[in-house]
Amino acid sequence: MEVLRRSALLLALSLYTAFAAGPFVWAAMMSLRTTTEITRDHFALPIPAHFEKFPLAWFSSNYSVYFSNSAMIVLSAVLILTIVGAMAAHCFARYRFRLNRVLYFLIFSTIIFPPQITIIALFQILVQYGLYDTKAGLVAVYVAIQLPLTIYILETFFARIPSDLFDAARMDGYSEWAIFWRVSFPIALPAVATTVILNFILLWNEFLYAVVLITDEANRTLPLGIQRFMGDQLEDTGMIATGLMIAIVPVILVYAFFSEKLIQGMTAGAVK
Amino acid sequence: MAVVTLDRLSKRYERAHKPAVEEVSLTVADGEFMVLLGPSGCGKTTTLRMVAGLESISSGKLAIDERVVNAVPAKDRDIAMVFQSYALYPHMRVRENLAFGLRRRGVARPEIDQRVKDVAAALGLSELLDRRPHALSGGQRQRVALGRAIVRDPKVFLFDEPLSNLDASLRASTRQEIAKLHRRLEATMIYVTHDQIEAMTLGDRICVMHDGKVAQIGPPLEVYRRPASVFVARFLGSPPMNIVPARLDGTEDRLSALAGGGGFGLDGAVDPARLPADRAVLLGFRPEDVSLASPESGPRAIVQAVELLGAETIVSATLEGGGEIAVRAPRDLVAQPGEPIGLAVPPQALHLFDPATGAAIPRRAS
Repeated sequence: MEVLRRSALLLALSLYTAFAAGPFVWAAMMSLRTTTEITRDHFALPIPAHFEKFPLAWFSSNYSVYFSNSAMIVLSAVLILTIVGAMAAHCFARYRFRLNRVLYFLIFSTIIFPPQITIIALFQILVQYGLYDTKAGLVAVYVAIQLPLTIYILETFFARIPSDLFDAARMDGYSEWAIFWRVSFPIALPAVATTVILNFILLWNEFLYAVVLITDEANRTLPLGIQRFMGDQLEDTGMIATGLMIAIVPVILVYAFFSEKLIQGMTAGAVK
Repeated sequence: MAVVTLDRLSKRYERAHKPAVEEVSLTVADGEFMVLLGPSGCGKTTTLRMVAGLESISSGKLAIDERVVNAVPAKDRDIAMVFQSYALYPHMRVRENLAFGLRRRGVARPEIDQRVKDVAAALGLSELLDRRPHALSGGQRQRVALGRAIVRDPKVFLFDEPLSNLDASLRASTRQEIAKLHRRLEATMIYVTHDQIEAMTLGDRICVMHDGKVAQIGPPLEVYRRPASVFVARFLGSPPMNIVPARLDGTEDRLSALAGGGGFGLDGAVDPARLPADRAVLLGFRPEDVSLASPESGPRAIVQAVELLGAETIVSATLEGGGEIAVRAPRDLVAQPGEPIGLAVPPQALHLFDPATGAAIPRRAS
């Protein structure tokens, strides 16, 4: 009976893994094959493996520029989001002030608007402030769209930190500012890591805002760069796959680096 | 070291229909161990938090060493507090928890290390300095919390029910540790608890609080022996003092309180001038002051339950004419439910209270 149960579980898990990892493996295989080979047989193994496609994409298809643009924009946005979001969440969770819940709800309610509704307005605002087609403009937009969710995740966590800890730090002589940096923030690290990963992945892959708000080749991010391999008549499938593989590396790195914290955050026990 | 003076201290929360703390006045002398005792919701913790600076003061004056500190923030009052939940910083090791307050105060590194080491040695924490709080037992966490207060060498120590999360045996030993600590440091300490054993054993004086007000302040035994009201009488002691309605009878020097079908002789213990006009009173006596007598004459009761505790026997009984009482009897007592017992209480162990206000009717000065 036990064996049967375990085999069923194993089968289900294998199917799910195949389902989840299948497209990724397929894209990884395609990244090592040329478009001609792919057209001939969609699912063949990458033999011979064309590793030279990676340096080719990086150097001659301007990937190095897209990559550094993406890194600069996304890292700045994530940094601002983490600091501002954590501070806001700390205040919402910890201080009683008039309209606390109203403000919180107001900020959080903005997530109900789909990007298609706000994007024209954002475009106009950025043009007026001279931020259209700049990295800073995109960073500002990224911070604005991700802030509500960041605050929401962090506020829930901050609210669970026992208030005795803050009182103890106050008795120990610390100011509210110091308490945030030396008590709240370090204790909330698992939740902070969660938002870092989440924001990083979402923004790293973000396409819609980037395609509308950036036109200059020198400011393009990776998702826009990959799009350049899609022509009107012809798609360079092999190079798209190679581009995707390059794009995915930082996501894996960020996840690997923060996932320990993430698991800590999910399994709780961090506070008590 | 310091004198802490609370002068008509009150705390009103917005939208609350009555104050959480109302005009509490008391002075904690230099080096005194003052216990704030009361049931939950009586305002004792709020009072303590006002002293700490964690709660704003609605009205009244709070002074430490004659300096009014109402507007001084918690961090500048030089007070240390031990919390009920210990409030150890979970992301820091024991060593850092102990040193955290000193670092903020700009104490030199080598001195911090030395003080942390000394306190850790005194509390038996030396082996645990590199552990994080989650790797400590409840008792160890409690000691770290104590250490964090001691290491700062503050003017005043505040304790907010620090033992309530410990199991019974650990509680007894930690209680003794705190008493020892007080003797060693000779510091001013204010200790909040709802546990009367902690209050009786630790306090130089007890301040019993009820409904946000001070019910009585005094040395533990005095509060126990001369409760100022029915509330204090019932709150201290386990089982609590027996309180039964009674009527006074007799002339000035031969006064007795009639209850349970007999008279409890007062033998001039009460000042007749202070008695209520209708002579109806509440009569109080502690379970341990009752001795069992023959049920033939005097006050009587019917045994309802007998609890054999080993060292003693607690008899619950119903007084003739109504009223539940408890009697602390010798362990060899043999009594069955339904059996009648006679009660005798020495006059000096009887307390009279005004039925309208619950206040004690003063005894004649002896």
